[in-house]
Amino acid sequence: MCQEVKLELLFLLPIFLPLLTSFFLFLNKKLFNELVTNFFTLNGALLAFAIAAYSFIALALDKFKPVNVELFQWISNPDISIGFTLDGLSGIMLILVTGLSFVIQLFSTSYMAKDENHCNYFVYFNFFVFSMLLLVMSSNFLVMFFGWELVGLSSYLLISFWSKKPAAAKAGNKAFVINRIGDFGFLIGLMIILDTFNTFDFYKILQNTSGVAESTITSISLFLLLGAFGKSAQFPLFSWLPDAMEGPTPASALIHAATMVTAGVFMLVRISPILQYSKIASLVIIVFGLITALLAAFSAINQFDIKKVLAYSTISQLGFMFIAIGAGAYVAAIFHLVTHAFFKALLFLGAGAVIHSMHHEQDIRKMGGLRKKMPITASMMGVGTLAISGIPPLAGFWSKDEILASVFVNGGVYYIFWALALGAAFLTAFYMGRHWLLIFEKDNGFDHSDVAEAPKAMTRPLLLLGIFSIFIGFINTPFFHGLEKVLHVTLENVEVTHLPKGITLVVLAVISIGAGFTGLIVAFFLFGIELHKRIDLKKFKLESPIKLVKDLSSNIFYLNKLGNLFFVSGMKNFTRKVAVVVDGMLIDGSVNFVSNAFNKSSKITSTTQTGLVRNYIVYFGLFLVILLALFIVNPLVPR
Amino acid sequence: MIQRKRIVMLEVTTDWYLTLAAMLFTIGFLGMMIRKNALIMFMCIELMLNAVNLTFISASNHFGKIDGQVFVFFVLVVAAAEVVVGLAIIVSIFRKQSSASVDVLNVSRG
Repeated sequence: MCQEVKLELLFLLPIFLPLLTSFFLFLNKKLFNELVTNFFTLNGALLAFAIAAYSFIALALDKFKPVNVELFQWISNPDISIGFTLDGLSGIMLILVTGLSFVIQLFSTSYMAKDENHCNYFVYFNFFVFSMLLLVMSSNFLVMFFGWELVGLSSYLLISFWSKKPAAAKAGNKAFVINRIGDFGFLIGLMIILDTFNTFDFYKILQNTSGVAESTITSISLFLLLGAFGKSAQFPLFSWLPDAMEGPTPASALIHAATMVTAGVFMLVRISPILQYSKIASLVIIVFGLITALLAAFSAINQFDIKKVLAYSTISQLGFMFIAIGAGAYVAAIFHLVTHAFFKALLFLGAGAVIHSMHHEQDIRKMGGLRKKMPITASMMGVGTLAISGIPPLAGFWSKDEILASVFVNGGVYYIFWALALGAAFLTAFYMGRHWLLIFEKDNGFDHSDVAEAPKAMTRPLLLLGIFSIFIGFINTPFFHGLEKVLHVTLENVEVTHLPKGITLVVLAVISIGAGFTGLIVAFFLFGIELHKRIDLKKFKLESPIKLVKDLSSNIFYLNKLGNLFFVSGMKNFTRKVAVVVDGMLIDGSVNFVSNAFNKSSKITSTTQTGLVRNYIVYFGLFLVILLALFIVNPLVPR
Repeated sequence: MIQRKRIVMLEVTTDWYLTLAAMLFTIGFLGMMIRKNALIMFMCIELMLNAVNLTFISASNHFGKIDGQVFVFFVLVVAAAEVVVGLAIIVSIFRKQSSASVDVLNVSRG
C-alpha cells in the first residue's frame, strides 16, 4: 500500500518536470548562456528519466496493475475529470519518451551550439516532451486531446524553428494545417464518445463496449482514425512529414521519427477494446497502412535529401505499425513502435552528425566516401540501416517479422496483404541500403578533406542508440514474450492476434529475412558496385521503366501536385467566389446600405440646423403652436 | 349709511389682463423673430417673461389662490440670473465682432 501511494505521486513528476524546465528556461532566457541552459535541461531530462524508470520498475513489481490518479473532477455529469494513468502501455511510452528525450537533448547540446536561439530550442523541446507525456499518460480522452493539440503546437514551433528561412515557416504551417484536418476528425470522434458513453474515462468506456451498436463503434473508430492518420502521417495526410524536415535534425529525430508521429498508433492501441469490434475500421486501417507503407517506401528510393529519405522511411514504418493494428496484432504494433523509435532516432541523429560535419549540406549526391572520415557515425548508421532492413538479430527484424507473421496468420485476403507488406519490407531494405551506400561508400568525386568525425557529444548518443538498436528486439521474441506480459493488463479484454507456431513461423521469418537481404543486395549491386553501368540497359529495354520509376518516386506519384490541383486551387477558386458573393455582396452590401441610409438621412436633416438663432426661434414657435393645438384638439386633456 | 350703487361701465375682468398678457407675449415673440440685434432680442425675451408673469398674477387673483404669485417670484429670480449670463455673452460677442447682430453668428451651422 505504501508503495502504491508513492508510485501514484511519483509518476506525475516526469510529466511535469519538462514543463517546469521549459518555463524555467523561458523565464531565464536572457540570463543563461549555453552552458547553464545545457546544465538545466540535461539534468532535468535525466531526472525525469530516472523517475520514469523507477516508476516502471515499481509497476513491473506490481504485475502491471494500472495506477490511476485523478487530479480533480471538472464536470460531474457527464463525467469529465483531469486524470493520469500508469499501466503497461503508458509505462512503455513514459520510459521511451523520457529516455530518448535525454539522449537526443545530449546530442542537441552539440548540434544546436552557437545557435542564436539556443535557449528557445530547449524551451520548445521540453515543452514538446511535456505535451507528449500528457498525451500518453492521460487516463481519459480529454487530457489526451490536450496533449494531442499541444504536441501539434510544439511540433509547429520546432519545424519552423529557423523561421527566417521561408521554407521552414511554410513547412510549419503545412504541418499545422494538415494536422488540423486530422484533429477535426479526432474531435468529432470525441463528441460521439461523450454522447454514447457519457464519460471520457478510458477504463469506463472500454469496459462498457458490449451494449453499444457496431455502427456507433465503427463511426467512433473511423473518426478517431482520421486523427491518427493526421498525426501519424498516413496515406491521405502524409505530405507534411517530409516537409517537416526543415526543422533542426535532433528535433526531427524525437518528434518526427521516434515519438510524436507514433501518437496515432498509441491511440489506436489504447482504444483497441473498441476497435476490435469494428471489422470495417480494422480493414480501413490495414488497407491505408499498406498503401502508406508501399507509397512512402517507393517514394524514398529516389530522394536525394539525407533527411527526406528518412522521413519517407518513417512514414513507411508507421504504415507497418498500422498494418499490425489492422491485423489485430496490437502488441506487435507497440513492439515495432519501440524498436523503430530507437533505430530511427539513431538514423536521424546519424544524419544530423553527417549534416553537422558536412557544414549543413543535405544533398547525398554531394556526399559519398565519408566512411573513412567518420567511422563511428558510419558504423552506427550501418547498424541502424541493418536494423530497419530487418536483418537478425537486430531490433527491426523481430518487430517487423512479428507484424508480417501476424498478418499472415489471419488468412484469406490477408495473404495478399502479407505479400504487399513483404514488398514494402523489401523496398525498405533497398532504399536504406542505397542511403547508406550513397553517403558513406560511393565516391562521387567531391573533396571531403575538411570533413571530420562529429564531436563526442554527438557520437556518444549514437553509440548508445546503436547498442539499443541491436539489443532492444530481445524484449519480445518468439521465445520470450516480454512486451506481451507488460501489455497483458492493458489489453486484457482484447483479442490479440498471436504468432503462428512451429514451422510456419520459421518459414515466414526466413522469407522476411530473405526480403531484407535481397533489398540490401540489390542496393549494393546498383549503388555499391554500380552494376547497371556495366551492362547495356538498352539491350533489355529497361531505360524507360527505370526513368518512370525514378520520376514517380521523386514526385511521390504526383500526389502533391494532384492535391494542389484539387484542394488548393479548387479551394482558392471556391473561396474567391464565396468572398465575392457572400462577403462582397451580402455582408458588405448590407453594412454599406445601413451606413449610407444614415449618412443621407442625416444630411437632409442637418440642413435644418442653420446656426441662425432666429430660425430656431421659428421652430420653437412652430412647435409651441402645435403643442397648443394638441391641447385644444386632444379630447384626452381634461377641461 | 346710504349705499351707493356703483355703476361700472367697463368692468376690468381677468380676460382683459389675459388679453394684455397675450399681446405682450406676441410682441415679444415677433420681436425675437424679426430683430437681429442681440440686445433687442434679449429685451423681447424679458417682455415675454413678464407677459407670463402677468398671466400668473391675474390667474392667481381670479381663483383667489396665492400659488400663482409665488411662481412669479421664481420666474423673477430666474430671469435676473439669466440676464446676468445673457448680458455677459452679448458683451463678449460684441467685443469679438464689434456688432451685436445674431445673423453673423452661424458658426454652429450643421
